[in-house]
Amino acid sequence: MQERVRISDSQVNTDLTSSIFESSKLYWILVGFLALVVLCGFTAAGYMFNRGLGVTGLNRPVMWGFFITNFVFWIGISHAGVMLSAILRLVQAEWRRPATRAAEVLTVFSLMTAMTMPLIHAGRPWRVAYWVFPYDWARGIYPNVRSALVWDPSAVFTYLTSSILFVYIALIPDFAVLRDRTTGVPHIIYSILSLGWRGSVRQWKLQIIAGILLSAIILPIFVSVHSIVSWDFGTAMSVEAWHSTVFAPYFVIGAVHSGVSAVVTVMIILRWMFHWENYIRREHMDSLAKLLIVVATAWLFFFALEFFFGLYALEGPEVALRELQVFEAPWKWYFLTFLITSYLIPVPMWLIPSVRRNLWLMAFTTILVNVGMWFERFIIIVPGLMRKQAFVFTWGGYTPSIVEVTIITATFAMVSMLVLLFAKVVPLIPIGDAKEGMILHDEIKIGKVMVPAVMREE
Amino acid sequence: MHESHHVVAPSYLDMTAQEITNDVLERHHSPGNQFWTVAMILGGLFVVGLVGLFMLVSDGFDNKSNWGYYAATFAYVFSLSQTAVLVSVALRMAKSHWRRPLARISEMFAIVGVYSFAMLVPLLWVLPSIEGRRSLWFEWPGNTPHIWDTMALGSLVICGLAILYFASLPDLVTDKEVSGKSDEDVSYHPLIPHWFGTPKHWQLQKIVLGLLGGFYFLMLIIVHMLISVDFAMALIPGWKDAIFPAFHAINGIQASIALIIVTMFILRSTSSLGKYLELEQFWALSKILLATCLLWFYFWWSSFFTYWYGRMPAEIGVLKYIMFETYSTVFLLAFTMCFVIPFLILVVNVVRKTIWGPTLAATVILIGTFFNQVRYYVAGFSVEDHTLHVLENLPDFTSPGPIDFMVIVGGISGAVLTYMLGTRLFPIISIWEIKEGLMLQRVRKFMKRDIRVLAKPE
Repeated sequence: MQERVRISDSQVNTDLTSSIFESSKLYWILVGFLALVVLCGFTAAGYMFNRGLGVTGLNRPVMWGFFITNFVFWIGISHAGVMLSAILRLVQAEWRRPATRAAEVLTVFSLMTAMTMPLIHAGRPWRVAYWVFPYDWARGIYPNVRSALVWDPSAVFTYLTSSILFVYIALIPDFAVLRDRTTGVPHIIYSILSLGWRGSVRQWKLQIIAGILLSAIILPIFVSVHSIVSWDFGTAMSVEAWHSTVFAPYFVIGAVHSGVSAVVTVMIILRWMFHWENYIRREHMDSLAKLLIVVATAWLFFFALEFFFGLYALEGPEVALRELQVFEAPWKWYFLTFLITSYLIPVPMWLIPSVRRNLWLMAFTTILVNVGMWFERFIIIVPGLMRKQAFVFTWGGYTPSIVEVTIITATFAMVSMLVLLFAKVVPLIPIGDAKEGMILHDEIKIGKVMVPAVMREE
Repeated sequence: MHESHHVVAPSYLDMTAQEITNDVLERHHSPGNQFWTVAMILGGLFVVGLVGLFMLVSDGFDNKSNWGYYAATFAYVFSLSQTAVLVSVALRMAKSHWRRPLARISEMFAIVGVYSFAMLVPLLWVLPSIEGRRSLWFEWPGNTPHIWDTMALGSLVICGLAILYFASLPDLVTDKEVSGKSDEDVSYHPLIPHWFGTPKHWQLQKIVLGLLGGFYFLMLIIVHMLISVDFAMALIPGWKDAIFPAFHAINGIQASIALIIVTMFILRSTSSLGKYLELEQFWALSKILLATCLLWFYFWWSSFFTYWYGRMPAEIGVLKYIMFETYSTVFLLAFTMCFVIPFLILVVNVVRKTIWGPTLAATVILIGTFFNQVRYYVAGFSVEDHTLHVLENLPDFTSPGPIDFMVIVGGISGAVLTYMLGTRLFPIISIWEIKEGLMLQRVRKFMKRDIRVLAKPE
C-alpha cells in the first residue's frame, strides 16, 4: 500500500533542507556524544602507537583480530551505496529515491573508516608507505604486487574516488538549491560546488546521463573491491577454512546484506530526527525489506556452500577447525549469535508484511543483522589463525584488549557522527529525485478504484 | 535514443480482451502444417537418439566413459529446461510488467522437466558408489546419492508442473468455454470445473503461485548443487570447489534466458503470436542476459584465480584437466561462447536494443553452454579411478563417437519435441496475464510526448 502525499516544490525544498538550516538540541547532544567517543578512540590509537601493538590482544599466531574484522565489516557496509543507488537506478526502481543519498554518503564514510583500520593495525602507520607505494625505498625492495594485501589499497581507493564522484554529481542540483537559499560564505561555497547549475533542460539531461554512466561504471568496482578483500583470505594457503573459491561472491553478498541493513537503520533514524515522514515512508521500508529477504537468502546459500565444502574433503585440520567454530565455547556462542542474528530472526520477521512496515521492528532487525555480520567476519578470521601452526603447542588464543574495543567503538561513532555532520551541509534525501518521483506519480482508474501508478519513460 | 526504437506501449494495447483471447486460442488450436513438419523431423531425430541410448545400454553400465556425452546432454537439458521455469517465477516475484507475454513460454519448460527426469534414470546405474571417494554425502548409507538425487529432481519437476498448471488454469477454463467443451470433456483437468474467476480464486492462485515459486527456487538451487557435484565434481579426484554449484546454477540461468529469447524469436518469425513478443521483451531480457554473462565470468574467475594462485598440486591437476590441457579446446569454446562473444554483442546499447542482437547472443550462449557441460561431465565420467586423492595422470580427451552424436542430437531433439507437444496442451501465450497487463497500463500525454503509465496496485 502506498502512502504518497502531494507536496509542493517549495515545501519539498523547505522540508529537505531543514536538516541544514534548523537544528534541535538533541542533534547537538548526539553529535557531541559521538565526538567524545571518537576522541576516546583517537586517544586509544595514540596510546597504542606510543606503546606498541603489545597493548592489544594480538600475538602469535593470531596476528589479525578486531582491527581486520572491523576493516572487512566497514568495507561491507560501504557496498550499500552502489547497491541502492546504482543498481536500483539501472532497474528503475521508484522506491530507491529517498535511500540513495544516505546510502552513498554511508559508503564514502564507511570506506574512509575502513581504510583507517589497516593503518592502525600496522602499529606504526607511517611505515605502510613502504609497502604500498611503488617506490624502491631501500635495498631494492619494492611492494610485493603478488600479494592480495597490496591490491587492497588500489581497490579501496578506486572505490572511494568513484563513490565521491558519484555522490558529488548527484549533489550538484541540490548545491544549487542551497546556493539560492544562503548568503555570505556558505553561498560562495555552494556557488562553487554547484558549478553554475541553472536547471536547464540540457543540464538535467547531462545529469541523468552522467548518473546512469557512473552507475554502470561503478558496478565492476563494487564487485571487485570486496572480492579483493576476500582474497586477502582466499589466497592464503596456510590457514584452514580460508582457501575457498566461494569467498569472493560470499563476501560481496554479505556486504550487500549488511550494507543495505545499515542504510535502513540510518533512514529510520533520519526520518525520526528530521521529521521526514512524507519522504521516507513505510512503503520504502517494505520494499527494502523484500530486497533484504532475497539478499539474505542468497547470502545464506553462499555461507552454506562455504561451510559445507570446507567439510567436503574431510581433511582433519579443516574438520577440527569447523568443530571449534561450532561446538567449542566461546566460539559456539559467537557462531550461534551470528547465525541467529544474521538470518534466523530477521528474515522470518521480514516475511510478515506488518513487520516490514513497522519502523521499530525494522530498526531492530537491521541492527541485529549487522551485529551478526560483524561476528561472521570475526569467526572467519580468528579461529583459523588460532590453529594456523602445525604443532599444538604453537596454537594460541585471542582476547581483545580495552584499546581495541575502544577503537572499534570509536569507528561506529565516527561514521555516525560524519553522517550527522554531513546532514548539516547537504540534504540527505536528493531534492531533485524527490520532486521527480512526485511528478512521475499518477493514478489509473480500474473499475471503481483509483490505483496508484507510475509514469515510465522508455 | 533512436526514435525508431522508441517503445511507448505494446501494440496489442489497442486490442480488446476478447480479441486477444480469440487470437491466442485460434493459434493454439491450429498451429499450422509447419509445426507438425518440424515435430516429425524432431521425432525422427529423437528415435535416432533412442537407438543410440539402446546401444549404450546394451554395452552395459560398467564403462563409465561411454556415458560421458549422455551425462553432458542430460545436464544440458536439465539446466536449460528447469531453470527456464525460474525465469517466470522470478519475474513474477519482481512484478515486472514486461514479463507477461513470455510467462507461459517460460513455464512451459516444466514439461521438459519430465523428459529430463527420464534421462536421469540410466545415469543412476552408471554412477559409481560413494565408497572410498569424496562425496557430498560423506558416508551416508544405502543407495546414496542415487535415491536423493532422484527425489530432488522429481520434486522439482512436480513443482514445476504444478506452477505451469496453476498459472494456466484461467486460460484452460477460457479455452473450455470458448471451445464449448463440457466438464466431462476436460475431466482430466481436475480443477477446471471449480475455477470461476472470483476475487477469492484469483487471490488463492496468487498465493499458491507465490508459495510454489519460492519452493521451486530453493529446490532448483539444491538440485543444481546435487547434479553438478554428484555427476561432475565428485568424480574428479582433487576437485573441491565451493563455488562450482553456484557457477553451474548461474550458467543454467544464463542459458535458460538465452533459450527463452530464442524461443520468442522463433515464435515471432513463425506465427502471428509475434505481436505479443515485442522489442520490450527482448530488450529487458538482454539486460538480464548481460548481467548473467558478467556473473558467469565472475564465478569462473573466483574459482580459477583461487586455484591458480595457490598452486596446490591437486588443484593445478584439476585446472590442467578441465581447462588448460586435456579439455582446453572445449574450455576455450565454452569461455568464448558463454562470455566473450555474448558480452561483446550485448555491451553495445544499440545492439542490445534490437531483436536480432539478443537473439544472436542467446544462440551463441546455447552452443557455448553445451561445451561447458561437456568439459565437466565428460571429464568426470572419463576418470577411471575416483578414489584417488589427486589427479596425477590426466585421462585422455574422450572424443565423441557416432553413438555419442546420436545421443546428443536425439537427446536435444527429444527435449524440443516435448516442448512443442506441450504447447498443444497449454496456450503458449498467457491470456489472463496479458489481459491483466492491459488493465494495469494506459498511454497518456506528458509534456508533448506519449508516455506509458503503469499501475502499482501493491
